[in-house]
Amino acid sequence: MTTTLRGARTRLRRKLTGALALGFALLAAGGLYTVFTPQPQVATAQGDAALVAQGQVLFDNHCISCHGVNLQGVEDRGPSLVGVGDSAVFFQVSTGRMPLARQEAQAVRKPPLPQFDPETPEGQENLDALGAYVQANGGGPHRPDATDAALRGDDPARGGELFRLNCSSCHNFTGTGIALSSGKYAPSLAPASAMDIYTAMQTGPQSMPRFSDRQLTPEEKRDIIAYVESVQGGLNNPGGQHLGGIGPTAEGVVAFIVGLAAMIGLALWIGAKS
Amino acid sequence: MTTSRQDPPSRAGEHPHPPQVTAADVEEMTQEQLARLAHQLDDVEVIHNQRKFPIPGTRAEKRATRAVATWFLLSALSGLAFLAAFLFWPFEYVPPHEEGYTLYVLYTPVIGATFGFAVLALGIGAIAYVKKFFPDDVSVQQRHDGRSDEVARRTLMAQLAEAGNDTTIARRSLIKRSAGAAAGLFGLGLGIAAIAPFVRNPWEGGADAALWVTPWASPDGETVYLRRDTGKVGEVSLVRPEDLDAGGMETVFPFRESQRGHEEELLRAQRASDTPVMLIRLRPDQPVLVRPGQEGFNYGSYWAFSKVCTHLGCPASLYEQQTHRALCPCHQSQFLITEYARPVFGPATRPLPQLPITVNDEGYFVAVHDFIEPVGPAFWERGARA
Repeated sequence: MTTTLRGARTRLRRKLTGALALGFALLAAGGLYTVFTPQPQVATAQGDAALVAQGQVLFDNHCISCHGVNLQGVEDRGPSLVGVGDSAVFFQVSTGRMPLARQEAQAVRKPPLPQFDPETPEGQENLDALGAYVQANGGGPHRPDATDAALRGDDPARGGELFRLNCSSCHNFTGTGIALSSGKYAPSLAPASAMDIYTAMQTGPQSMPRFSDRQLTPEEKRDIIAYVESVQGGLNNPGGQHLGGIGPTAEGVVAFIVGLAAMIGLALWIGAKS
Repeated sequence: MTTSRQDPPSRAGEHPHPPQVTAADVEEMTQEQLARLAHQLDDVEVIHNQRKFPIPGTRAEKRATRAVATWFLLSALSGLAFLAAFLFWPFEYVPPHEEGYTLYVLYTPVIGATFGFAVLALGIGAIAYVKKFFPDDVSVQQRHDGRSDEVARRTLMAQLAEAGNDTTIARRSLIKRSAGAAAGLFGLGLGIAAIAPFVRNPWEGGADAALWVTPWASPDGETVYLRRDTGKVGEVSLVRPEDLDAGGMETVFPFRESQRGHEEELLRAQRASDTPVMLIRLRPDQPVLVRPGQEGFNYGSYWAFSKVCTHLGCPASLYEQQTHRALCPCHQSQFLITEYARPVFGPATRPLPQLPITVNDEGYFVAVHDFIEPVGPAFWERGARA
């Protein structure tokens, strides 16, 4: 009897201990879970979520017909935007290339939509929102948070070396651009801001290859921008007139024609009866 | 024998010389008379000679003097300005957006304009002087038809022959031959010096001749890395597979550890005409066509092709990352990278040679071996390879 009683008591104690241990374990696991679970990567803060939501509205209004509901792209209309990053959004939309006016060989630079004009606060906000939305759906290169002046490096000579190696085959050594195949072309860099050039290098718009930050470091990209800005807009023309900046052929023709005209004029004056 | 036909009928053999003038006559002549005599001796007749300013000291003459002198003075001033600018103007490069850029950028125009104007004003001054002060002058010189008369020709030839005989060169064969040898060898030397630099044996080295191999080859088995150009001489930056984004393209050059620290060798590898290679990263799902015999030359989505166009050797590096075409800017050849860089447009007939690449145990891209065919334009001895 005592043995059975003792046996039943032991069994009860064992059950109680087991229940207690389980309770502790569960509590500990739950506590550890709450402590160690990583925060969600995207759109945590209220502001970002609002920005992404605003970006989605903008996307649905302007981009969805070609780039698809889930940014996956639409056959024969537009490519997937998964992984292009807010850098690509800024480059394409702020330069007016997107939204596309029509399907053709290449998107052309044109005045941006008023709501995406980077010169206005509203445009900046909308660009940020659209960028945040695309960034939240696949990530990609980030647009640097810097002014145009801060994107200009301090070694234009090295930038020139890099530009002539990586860029000048298509954009010409002064950034005037050139024709590519089937109606495509490398555009002139004259209207491009420092941010445009930087984001283009990051994202490789259209025919252009991408230059990742491990291939051309941010410092090298800034030096390239410094070089481009030092030869654009009629700068660095010791001859006084850049003649299109396309090299010795144009210069030779002008020297030949202008010089020859001057020579003929002088010869006429020398030979004329006074 | 045909003198009667060739000699002008009336004045043949006879110059219309003026009356004989003796030395004593010349002594007594004035300078003006002597000048006129010189004209007569040359058969020149002055028809009209009018001075610009017959009366000295007129207002018009002074004005003309001032005009000419002004040009010369302007030239002198401009020359002075040129000297000053050449010596003292800041000529060292200043980037735009920095202080001193405007002054620097004016350096070339300033020295060009001052020097050019100095020369131009000097010339204009000289011509203005001629135009304003030289007399209006019309002179006629008689022209003699036909050849010289028989006497003059015979005597001249005899004179020359006699002068030659007097040197006794005709019978001094040792001198003639030695002089001929000296002059001939000198000329030959000049000719060889002019032509020899163009003559080179392209097949020196046999199978390792420069046309067959590139610096990507490693005769002693040393690892040849792929190296990028960072724009800094001597800086070695090797390429890893994670460096390029999909759709990226990078120009790479050969590098060996034994070259580290040797700037000239490093630079030579970058500047050699057959070393540039386009390292291209395609998108992972991109369908590709591999050329038979080049299986395994790529590393995953990385493909390496020579940048030198197989038509005439321009850098065919206008890479369109969406159509995967590499364009050559010289003659518009297009190579389709996804189909072993075969030519799809333009005058090029052969694909770009592909460099076999892999990643070594340090995680760097290395070349497995050299190209399996010569890089760049064709040459006679290059066999056709499909």
